[in-house]
Amino acid sequence: MNSLLLSGPESLLPYLLVSACLFAAGILACTTRRNAVGYLMGIELMLNAAALDFVAYGRFRGLEAAGHGQVFSLFVIVLAAAEAAVALALVYSVYRTFRDVDLDRTTTLGSKR
Amino acid sequence: MSLLLWIMASPLAAFLLLSAFKPKKGGDLLSIAAMAAAFALSLKAAVPVLANGQILSGETLRWLSFPTGFGLPAFSLSLGLQLDRTGAVMLLIVTGLALCVEIFSAWYLHGDRFYTRFFSHFSFFCFAMLGIVLSDNLLMTFVFWELVGVGSYLLIGYWHDKSAVSDDAFYQEMKAKDATGILESKLSPSHAQLKAFVMNRVGDFGFLVGMGLFAWAALQGGIHGNILSWDNLSLAVNTGAFDRIAFAGLSGSALLTLAGIGVFLGAMGKSAQFPLHTWLPDAMQGPTTASSIIHAATMVAAGVFLTARIHPILTPDALLFVSWIGAITAFVAATIALVQWDYKAVLAYSTVSQLGYMMIGLGAGAATGGYSAGLSHLFTHALFKCLLFLGAASVIHGCENHQDMNRFGGLLRKMPVTAITSGLAVLAICGLPFFSAFWSKDAIVASAFLAAEGREGYGVLLAWGPWVLAVVTALLTCFYMTRQWTLTFLGKEREPHVTHHAHDPSFPAKAVLILLSLFTFQFLWTGSVNPFASGSWLDAALAPKGSVELLSETTLHHAHVQTMILATVLGLVGIGSALFLYRKGPVSFKVAPVWKFLANLWFLDRLWDLLWAETFGKRGGKVVAILDLGTDSRLSTLESAPALSPSLDGVVDATALATGKVGALLGRLQSGNALVYAGYTTLALGILALLLGF
Repeated sequence: MNSLLLSGPESLLPYLLVSACLFAAGILACTTRRNAVGYLMGIELMLNAAALDFVAYGRFRGLEAAGHGQVFSLFVIVLAAAEAAVALALVYSVYRTFRDVDLDRTTTLGSKR
Repeated sequence: MSLLLWIMASPLAAFLLLSAFKPKKGGDLLSIAAMAAAFALSLKAAVPVLANGQILSGETLRWLSFPTGFGLPAFSLSLGLQLDRTGAVMLLIVTGLALCVEIFSAWYLHGDRFYTRFFSHFSFFCFAMLGIVLSDNLLMTFVFWELVGVGSYLLIGYWHDKSAVSDDAFYQEMKAKDATGILESKLSPSHAQLKAFVMNRVGDFGFLVGMGLFAWAALQGGIHGNILSWDNLSLAVNTGAFDRIAFAGLSGSALLTLAGIGVFLGAMGKSAQFPLHTWLPDAMQGPTTASSIIHAATMVAAGVFLTARIHPILTPDALLFVSWIGAITAFVAATIALVQWDYKAVLAYSTVSQLGYMMIGLGAGAATGGYSAGLSHLFTHALFKCLLFLGAASVIHGCENHQDMNRFGGLLRKMPVTAITSGLAVLAICGLPFFSAFWSKDAIVASAFLAAEGREGYGVLLAWGPWVLAVVTALLTCFYMTRQWTLTFLGKEREPHVTHHAHDPSFPAKAVLILLSLFTFQFLWTGSVNPFASGSWLDAALAPKGSVELLSETTLHHAHVQTMILATVLGLVGIGSALFLYRKGPVSFKVAPVWKFLANLWFLDRLWDLLWAETFGKRGGKVVAILDLGTDSRLSTLESAPALSPSLDGVVDATALATGKVGALLGRLQSGNALVYAGYTTLALGILALLLGF
């Protein structure tokens, strides 16, 4: 079954590769971007990678009719929107406190030391 | 509430009120009023007891009750109040003298920094002493015994922030030129109060051991109920309870002797008996009026009173021990008093010496009349010693805190009331006919004589020693007291700048002096002007408990007449020689070794200081410091000391240090940097993926 899915003219593999690339890009952004907004973007990328996986698996496991994969993707998108709203508010708040969104410099719970 | 409880509650209430509200004014009046109430109630309680001889009981508070079990009968430990005839006299003296001293203090301490505090602590002190007087058992006596210790601690350290006299410019200027023997760097109120407390602990150790032995014996003897009450103690001893127990290889009367001496050790501490007497002269660091009550009616009286209480259960061996301790104390203190320059120090050593007399009397046993003689001397001494100290307060007040007798002189004209009342007290302590100690002190000497005659199988030296020392001390007493009085009140004014302001105290204080001086006369005690009369109201009050058969009338009479002649002759010789020698002022008799030996207080203070404070205290302290801290200087240099030295403190430090280091290490993980956290998360994710994947 696995071999069926991962080979042939229309296989799952390319989707998973794209998703993995997206996820890796997200992690790279999260661990290297010092700007909080860039960091958030990395998170968005990782969420999208996960959503892509859901859809692809839904399609190739024959569950398309039931729409399970799409429903999960929708949830992920909604979650990502909500997360972005909250996270941007936090970033704004951090900016107001520190006059800065550089994550290397915003390491305390209160204002700057 | 019973009458007895009210008597105790009155000074306690004054203490509590003054401690709680710390009034700026009126504290003295409150305290005096409370003491006056206590005195009035004491009269109400004591008069029927003295008249009828019945015992007045108060409340009993049961503290611990034990049911039958472990082969022991049901028993209890309790605090109970009781007033018998001996207690009644003591009660009147304690409350009466406390009242007098408080009235005097209101004049003496007027304007002092801690004025109200004195009255507060004084009330507490008297409350504690009343607890001993009214106690009906050994345990309650011990409890209040310790409270008296606390009270004395508070009063001696009244000027707690005063520096040691070695740093006191006034003391250095005022002390006699040849002053020696005092450890000046260790003479301050705060040191003196500790010394008094700690030296009393030494005796109290014996008290606890003795009390434990009595309790054990009483239980094994089948005594039930309040096992430590006076009656039960006698009962236990009389029924041979001590034959049923063994301790340290001793049993029966030998163990009873040990138990008696144990409790007597407590009395030795409180009553300043040799070798535990050195705290009492240091206690002069307190206000003079506090000394007045400590030396007269409370504290030192407690030891003699306790010895009288346990008297029925002391064996002949224990009594001999009591006699010898008393005799040595009387003699040693009297010889030291001969060479003192400080007006108060003479009085302090005379108190120690007179307490020794009381112990000689008590040690002579009941049959020879020694028991009643010792107690009556306790009472007469209380009055005249209180008077002498109030006189000292008056002199010191008048001479602007100077205490060197060599600089006084000629005060008779400046302060006639003080001089004459003190003079009467000196005659009383000398034991001349018609004065109070003629009756009490001579009775002690007579009883010591009879006891020595009656002691068979002890050898001549052991049996007669106390009597010989008592007689010699009688001579010394007359000499040093007359020396003090002559140097102070007779002759010319030697240093007018010291004495020219001297004056008698003002009205109520002066009245106290005159009132107390009346009690130096014998007729107030025996009810007869005839010094040879017997059978007074006090004799009945002081009769020993139980059925003690006194020696025959002729034997007693013989001993007394002989003693009276001896004592009167010795007294006149002592007084006469002192008057003659010192009539013109100080004379120096520096027969070098003897004078040095006496002026250095027999080197006892130095010896104790060397032995306990320096050797055991400091060296022991060093050992403890090393066990505890690693090095003895660790506390002061905590920063620089090695943290992990092998010691108790090092273990604690190492634990703290290790915890701190681990904390610091782990704390670095929590940088607060979101990127680092993201890194950790990714790392964890990778590990998880690896684990799941392979």
